[in-house]
Amino acid sequence: MIKELENILPTITDEKQKASLQKAITIGVPSMKQEEWKYTYYNKILQQGFTTTNLEGFKKLQGLKIEKEFIDANSISTNRIVFVNGIFHNELSTLINHPKINFWDSNNVTESNTKDFLIELNNALTTDGVFLEIGDNVVVDELIEIFYINQNCNQIINLKNNIKIGKNTQVKFAEYYINYDHSPAYNNIVTSIDVAESANVEFYKVQDGGNVLNITDNTFVQQAAKSICNVTTFSLTGGITRNVLQFDVNGERAESHMNGLYLLQNEEHVDNRTLVNHNVANCESFELYKGILGGKSTGVFNGKIVVAQAAQKTNAFQSNRNILLSNDANIYTKPQLEIFADDVKCSHGATTSQIEDSELFYLQARGIGKEVARGLLVFAFGEEIVEKIKNEALKDKLEKRIAELLKIEI
Amino acid sequence: MLKVNNLHASIDNKEILKGFTLEINAGEIHAIMGPNGTGKSTLGNIIAGKEGYTITQGTVEFEGVNIFDLEPEDRARLGVFLAFQYPVEIPGVSNANFLKAAVNEIRKSKGEDPMPPNDFLKLMREKMALVEMNKDFISRSVNQGFSGGEKKRNEIFQMAMLNPKLAILDETDSGLDIDALRIVANGVNKLRTKDNAFLVITHYQRLLDYIIPDFVHVMYDGRIVKTGDKDLALELEEKGYDWVKELEIV
Repeated sequence: MIKELENILPTITDEKQKASLQKAITIGVPSMKQEEWKYTYYNKILQQGFTTTNLEGFKKLQGLKIEKEFIDANSISTNRIVFVNGIFHNELSTLINHPKINFWDSNNVTESNTKDFLIELNNALTTDGVFLEIGDNVVVDELIEIFYINQNCNQIINLKNNIKIGKNTQVKFAEYYINYDHSPAYNNIVTSIDVAESANVEFYKVQDGGNVLNITDNTFVQQAAKSICNVTTFSLTGGITRNVLQFDVNGERAESHMNGLYLLQNEEHVDNRTLVNHNVANCESFELYKGILGGKSTGVFNGKIVVAQAAQKTNAFQSNRNILLSNDANIYTKPQLEIFADDVKCSHGATTSQIEDSELFYLQARGIGKEVARGLLVFAFGEEIVEKIKNEALKDKLEKRIAELLKIEI
Repeated sequence: MLKVNNLHASIDNKEILKGFTLEINAGEIHAIMGPNGTGKSTLGNIIAGKEGYTITQGTVEFEGVNIFDLEPEDRARLGVFLAFQYPVEIPGVSNANFLKAAVNEIRKSKGEDPMPPNDFLKLMREKMALVEMNKDFISRSVNQGFSGGEKKRNEIFQMAMLNPKLAILDETDSGLDIDALRIVANGVNKLRTKDNAFLVITHYQRLLDYIIPDFVHVMYDGRIVKTGDKDLALELEEKGYDWVKELEIV
């Protein structure tokens, strides 16, 4: 991997990208020796044979045909932004036409100064992404859908989204991964969401691309005063999935929500890391991640709340609850609190349990077979997250999909 | 319909049932009374198929089938119903989805198609009226936040929806006020036919003012020690259970 990056380095012309690539090379690929990668073996993704190339090499991959009907069948909105193998696909996309909603058709490269291999790699080799700015006082009624379609692509796809939401504006996003031909694929995505004063943003991440789709996702949310932002992550199928979600709460009376549901039944590996930085006073954050782990799946949850000294009167709540369905499934969970202010209300907790025999028997005693009974109980466990979705069509879509995965009728 | 013969069962090496024998025919209502800890609920649980009991001796046949060979769901599909003494709360599963799954799983086991949604809703409304349930009940989670009376009414409602051949009511009357008791009893009486049967487990005679049993059995120390008609229940009410304990079983 590093050797390949060194080979590409001379072909990168942009100085900022070059710097990022150099940094990625210096940092090196993540290793399980690092605390934040303790349970996730990153090399297992690379071992599936992904390579890297520069933008020119990437563009040569394009030109594969995907019918519009395919997107229609997978979409629940008329606002669609579609990427195929990391490049924006104009014919499949339908963008809202409004003077206050601007999609920049420009390169999104910025100077990046992190110590994170994946973020630097992404910045160095970004192919495309959602570059969107919505002005003040706009209510976008319909869901904005973002599709990442992978089609016979053995390249690491580096998409970078940069979304700015204006004051008082309300908008909802949903992003989906589609692995069109079920060959191994890997998306390394970085998303930045800037939420201005009193804005309200919902962002739903639906990770259901089949068992050979790998994802590393870094999402950063910056919130101004009185804003509300909710990021909910659904991990349903996949190979190795790593989600890093960070909220920086920089304005008073802001409200942050982080929810997640991972429903893993085979050999999926899902690693969720969240961080909320409460930097100012009088804010609230709520976090609930629920996991259902069957088969030989692995779940990792690491949630951290940091309350700065200035962030008095912070209310921060975090919970991670898991159900293990099989002896071969694993969950590693670590909630963390770092509090430097003295007048705050914070709580955190993690539980891991199994399906209650008494509940199972109650359903069986009504004629419901054991497998269906188990499916209903698991569905119910996950429903607490699904029902938080504030878009009916998406909620229905996910409920149907989860029922399908659990082989039950609802 | 149900034949329990010389049933011995234990839990954690403690023998609870010690030679319990009972036969119930279609059209009959049997009541089992007795002090706490004599194995009344154990009997109901074993017939319904709850795990954790060890059967050391005896048989239970339902319509000629040895039920120990069957999973709980298969017993329910044959027509056995247990109204739980302590109904379980299931957050996140609505009453409607729960019963739809139950009704359709039972139909599937008989090779029938799922009930059309409109018919199902109609059936639900009809049976809800029987136990005087509010409309919002359909979308509420199973038993979650229900009062004691509501939970027991829900058991009777489920019984009405599934229309079993044999219904075992395990202390369905305990904790009920007089109105709820009337609703529960009324539900049972309306569902009674010549083809089904009821086994009513209770501490108190008062339920039997509303549900008139054909037989009353007194259970003590894991077996039936006396059988009579409804007047036996009155006698128990008057004299308490102490005299039962002094009976010598030979």
